[in-house]
Amino acid sequence: MLAARIVWSLMAVMALAAETGRPSLRRLTHSQYNNTVRDLLGDQTGPASQFPQEDFVHGFKNQVEAQSISPLQAEAYGAAAERLARNYFRGRETPRDGGQFVREFGRKAFRRPLAEAEARRYGALFARGGGQLVVEAMLQSPHFLFRGEGADSRLSYFLWDSMPDDQLLRSAAAGELATAAGIEKAARRMLGDPRARQALDEFVSQWLRFDRVLNTVKDRRLYPQFNPELAYAMTEETRRLVADLVWGSRSFMEIFTAEYGFLNTDLASLYGFPAPGEEFGKVQFPAGSDRAGILGQATLLALTSKPEETSPTERGVFIRAQLLCQEVPDPPPGTDNNLPASTEARPLTNRERLGVHLTNPACATCHQLMDPIGFGLEKFDAVGKRREKQSITFFPGRQERGSRAKAVELEIDTRGAVAGIANSEFSSPKDLGRILAGSAQCQECVVRQLFRYAFGRQETSADRPVIARGLEVFRSSQFRLQELIIYMAGVVR
Amino acid sequence: MKKPLSRRTFLKGVSLTGAAARIALPPLEAMFNSHGTAYGAERAPIETRFLLWFNGNGIPEKYWIPTETGPGYTMTPCLAPLAPFRNDVHVITGVDNPSARKPGPGNDHHRSMSALVSGTSFTGRGAGGPSIDQAIAARLGGQSLFRSLQIGVSQESFGESIQRNLSWAAYDRALPPEMIPHKLFDRLFGARDEGWIARKKSVLDAVAEDATQLQAGLGKADQDRLGDHLESIRELERAIAGLPPEYAQVEEPEQGGDMKDWPRIAKLQTGLLAHALVTRQTRVASYMLTKCQGLSRFPWLGYTAARHHDYTHQNAESPESQRVMRDICRWHVEEFAGLVGKLKATPEGAGNLLDNCCLVYIHEHAEANAHKNNGLAVIVAGHAGRLVTGRHTKSAGTIGDLYLALANDVMGAGLEGFPSGRAKLAGIAG
Repeated sequence: MLAARIVWSLMAVMALAAETGRPSLRRLTHSQYNNTVRDLLGDQTGPASQFPQEDFVHGFKNQVEAQSISPLQAEAYGAAAERLARNYFRGRETPRDGGQFVREFGRKAFRRPLAEAEARRYGALFARGGGQLVVEAMLQSPHFLFRGEGADSRLSYFLWDSMPDDQLLRSAAAGELATAAGIEKAARRMLGDPRARQALDEFVSQWLRFDRVLNTVKDRRLYPQFNPELAYAMTEETRRLVADLVWGSRSFMEIFTAEYGFLNTDLASLYGFPAPGEEFGKVQFPAGSDRAGILGQATLLALTSKPEETSPTERGVFIRAQLLCQEVPDPPPGTDNNLPASTEARPLTNRERLGVHLTNPACATCHQLMDPIGFGLEKFDAVGKRREKQSITFFPGRQERGSRAKAVELEIDTRGAVAGIANSEFSSPKDLGRILAGSAQCQECVVRQLFRYAFGRQETSADRPVIARGLEVFRSSQFRLQELIIYMAGVVR
Repeated sequence: MKKPLSRRTFLKGVSLTGAAARIALPPLEAMFNSHGTAYGAERAPIETRFLLWFNGNGIPEKYWIPTETGPGYTMTPCLAPLAPFRNDVHVITGVDNPSARKPGPGNDHHRSMSALVSGTSFTGRGAGGPSIDQAIAARLGGQSLFRSLQIGVSQESFGESIQRNLSWAAYDRALPPEMIPHKLFDRLFGARDEGWIARKKSVLDAVAEDATQLQAGLGKADQDRLGDHLESIRELERAIAGLPPEYAQVEEPEQGGDMKDWPRIAKLQTGLLAHALVTRQTRVASYMLTKCQGLSRFPWLGYTAARHHDYTHQNAESPESQRVMRDICRWHVEEFAGLVGKLKATPEGAGNLLDNCCLVYIHEHAEANAHKNNGLAVIVAGHAGRLVTGRHTKSAGTIGDLYLALANDVMGAGLEGFPSGRAKLAGIAG
């Protein structure tokens, strides 16, 4: 039995999917589950937020290969279904005509008409426990939890992160989604619906790893202003910038160059900017600010930092992986991870400590790709605050009660570069933003990230034409993300 | 003397009474024979139980590993909480984890973790094969309500699958731990009346039929994914079976409270674990106190500036950092000692529950800062299968060798082998 399980390997799943030529069934993500029960039952409780955590694979939580159902997950589905069905029938009469209820509710829950055998099976449940038992069972059925090949579900879970509405089901039944024109028409209608905004938010929050900001910890002695509300405000700023670009039909590449932001009072204070007129209202950055786009946002700067200091390496890794779609390998086994300590007697800047990465040839092969990117962002500290110098605080040990913390300030050298991109020397988020926005690799990476999210898998060499065509569409639309989304909606399988 | 009752009689009885059933400890005396060592009616010996216990990151070796070997060793600062249970534990150091050093994807923590629990290399996403608790559960878990249980406490880590999960059913198939005490309570001891059980079964039957029918029309990969769902449904069906109403009540943990107060959660979880073991709901469990490459904070120890993993690498060789590590690892051992104490205080048969348990305590690394994956320090506790206890042994074997001795000589699981294991480690069972 165990041997049979080995097919769970990444390669096996991919190979088999390719071999059979079938798309894989996709399990609803936790976010899709919450949205679906909201749209299906009117339930706003978000039960999936309590489910066992999802894995990020290839940068996203919706990747097919990570979507198994463990016994704990099955139990969580069971408990949620029981509660959802009970709440749904609270104050609602159980329907009189079981056959009709099973067919109608089933069509929505399974996103297709029920087969005869299914209608009989759920009809028997109705006879036993009324509508509530039918709902409880359907919410645990693989027909509800997994979605198959229907164009309607494919579109709605990609564009809305939720179930299809009646209009979409009708279009599918009428065969209108069988043509490219029909799909495009449906997709354009759907992008005008508020549900498209929640879907975009979900994509962005995974791509830019909001979870890491929201769960981050900072040394309270060094960053007293950092708290969960501020972390939330950071992600809200990022979310609003993206929404502004996408729904305002601006170039998506301005995500790297926008010299404005959406700040609340706390963020403005962190950035050293005047307080905004309204919370999270749009504000132009002061002239001379070297913040621009997401590279200058606290979200990215904080999530790539450690509790006490920035990590130029982490910043480089994040920019390579998320924004350039380049995988940086982990250190090989047996690597000595020790960097020279920064001591009171010999304080060192981050650049100086990381110097060994670039002088030791074993480290340099990879680290020259990462650290120099981070060096160019060093004027922004571990919570995204502007700094002229790197301040290092030496706190007294427990044994040295009574003595005070000592701080030293060191000059920062912010010369950075992106190896592999010509003329990419930079020394601020604003400079780097311009470089990325104009980089073909970065533009293609946006397409690839959206591909991974839409298809639920990593692209393979067979997908090159799809990516290349997507990049053409993206470019010729002056980088309107809506156009790329519509293109992707037409090709996703 | 009372007439011995069979457990099966109890189970049948429940569906007749139709009353709300709650279960708890300890097993009724009537179920034991006059020697108190076995179920009277079934003449079966009391089951042995296996627990895999895990703490994230590694240890500060100088504060953890005893200098002397044999029975007369001096307890180190980290091991001190186990002093009252000196004769119930076997400290084994020097254990190698060779599969962690094979080249492959992942960082040191990923590679060490996969190799530690399964003896196989990290796949890029998860463990490369079943973890030792699952290898044992596959052989011994068949008769229990739960084939195995996974319990967790602290949720803080870098958050990838290999870092958050200790138990693996197979290649890349994680079995996530339950980390919320009241949810764990509900699984184990929640009130279930006969009507609820029958309802639930009818729901699961319908869902299982859906899955079976859906499976038929699919490609191989999707069939296997649905097979996984189907298996989870069957496990669930098994776990909702009726439970003897005669058992006394287990106190339900309060909902809410500070869900990041790990010492509080840990005590609730070990309590529920002890109850689950003594009421024979499972023979095999895993317990993740903290995560692999864990990022827990330890405010109750006075360390608030950074997280566990940060401490293991920040000027790690300095005396100050070593003391932080010492205090953290001593807390780990203190919680483990707490469980050992609970098991020992729980009567079972003629002795106590610890007499029938085999507990194995592991970390992904030896010296934390160096990510050292040889010379691991392990604690084996309990007296199941005549475990050798009361000593410190320096071993030259692998983690697989140790697991083979525990699985076969102690638990009687009859494994043909285990990855990275060459020969059963000697000196484990008497």
